[in-house]
Amino acid sequence: MLYRRRSSPNVFLAVLTPSESNEVSPDAALVNRLLQRDVSAFEDLYDRHSRIVYTLVLRILQQASTAEEVVQDVFLHLWRNAAQYDGSRGPFLPWLLTLARNRALDQLRLKSERQRRREEQAEELPPVVAIPDFEGSLDEKRRAKRVRELVALLNPKQKRAIELAYFEGLSHAEIANALQEPLGTVKGWIRNGLLRLKEGLQATS
Amino acid sequence: MNNAGQFRDHFRELIEAYALGSLDAEERAAVGAHLATGCEECTRALEDARLLVSQLAYLAPEAAPLDMLRGRLLQTVRAEAAAAKAYTSAISKSAIPLWMWGAVAAVLFFALYNAYEAHSLRETIRKTQEALTAQMELQQESARRLAWAQREALILTDPRSMKIAMSAGTKGMPELQATWHHSMGIVVSGQKLPMPSGNRTLQLWLIPKAPGAKPMPSMTLRPDADGTFDLLVANPPDSPSGTKSLAITEEPAGGSPQPTSTPIWVGAVAGK
Repeated sequence: MLYRRRSSPNVFLAVLTPSESNEVSPDAALVNRLLQRDVSAFEDLYDRHSRIVYTLVLRILQQASTAEEVVQDVFLHLWRNAAQYDGSRGPFLPWLLTLARNRALDQLRLKSERQRRREEQAEELPPVVAIPDFEGSLDEKRRAKRVRELVALLNPKQKRAIELAYFEGLSHAEIANALQEPLGTVKGWIRNGLLRLKEGLQATS
Repeated sequence: MNNAGQFRDHFRELIEAYALGSLDAEERAAVGAHLATGCEECTRALEDARLLVSQLAYLAPEAAPLDMLRGRLLQTVRAEAAAAKAYTSAISKSAIPLWMWGAVAAVLFFALYNAYEAHSLRETIRKTQEALTAQMELQQESARRLAWAQREALILTDPRSMKIAMSAGTKGMPELQATWHHSMGIVVSGQKLPMPSGNRTLQLWLIPKAPGAKPMPSMTLRPDADGTFDLLVANPPDSPSGTKSLAITEEPAGGSPQPTSTPIWVGAVAGK
């Protein structure tokens, strides 16, 4: 289970893809060691990614104690189910963040109608991305800064719509209702905003 | 653009929202069904979109978990790793090594060989014992026959023995010779005797001198196949002085307490 970056005809991916086609990512190597019950590999993975995972979960839950519980749950899930990560389908961190987001949203929506929708989504999540990650071209701090800069360029309501979708798991209709904007407008904002983010990251790379 | 192309473009426009999880249930189901058809372009687009969406995590204000969380996690992980290691170790220790299977096989083979050897030995001993028993019985029989022959020889050769000729009442029947020794017994012998019919046998009787006394039964004997008759009575029921004569009748197998047929041979005992 080693993640090897491969080339892609997609311009966005091609720009972000390092030239080495068979390079094994450090994360994939660590996950491989997790399969051998290597505690030091778990420590390394935790030290590398716990901050961004906690940052995301805390933003969603807005409560430190609950956020820590979810982060603990996420990393224990990783320890106990490392084989669920398929390195051939994409880099590790997006997979881990997707797992963390889903767990946090599950917690947020516990026993609600939307919880059921989230569970359906969660079942198909971990297979994240097939190819390159941003780690090959930007370090984490630079990437975080660049993402914030790019999103800050968006219309405030557009930015808010994306945040409601990502951090609170709201649907288009719920966001339209929350922002008192037409549904079509909200859909356009979100898609347009994500495409502009994508273009901005490509340009940065 | 054909219908398939329009269809694909429609889903492509929904892919980012699908990755974000913001589609309503109906749209989400439609995109999921389209992806299930194996559309490579949309599948690749979804992978890109998921990567893009994951970058939104960086919009959150930076925060760091407490060190306690790290400590708790590592405590749990180390405990589980140790348990897994102990379990693996226990499994491997409990496994029987190959050399031990070899030893077990050798012991089993040795035990089976020993059992076979023991069985063979027991069989040999049994056969030897049987042969020994047969030999002893043969020796005893030989000894008995020898003693019998010696006794008979003594009776026949001792000058004190009384010779009694037992003639047959029927013409053509061979005569028998009885020899009576006062302490060694009576020998009755003859040659070319006819074989009694069926299971019948010849029985010796001592006819007492006392008037009215009943004949005293003695031994029974069938002649050999060649008609040889050789009877030794070691302990006659009476003495020569009390006996008037000897008689032989044909009786049922096993003899009779009283004569059931007319005597074939009779010989008078000379009084002394």
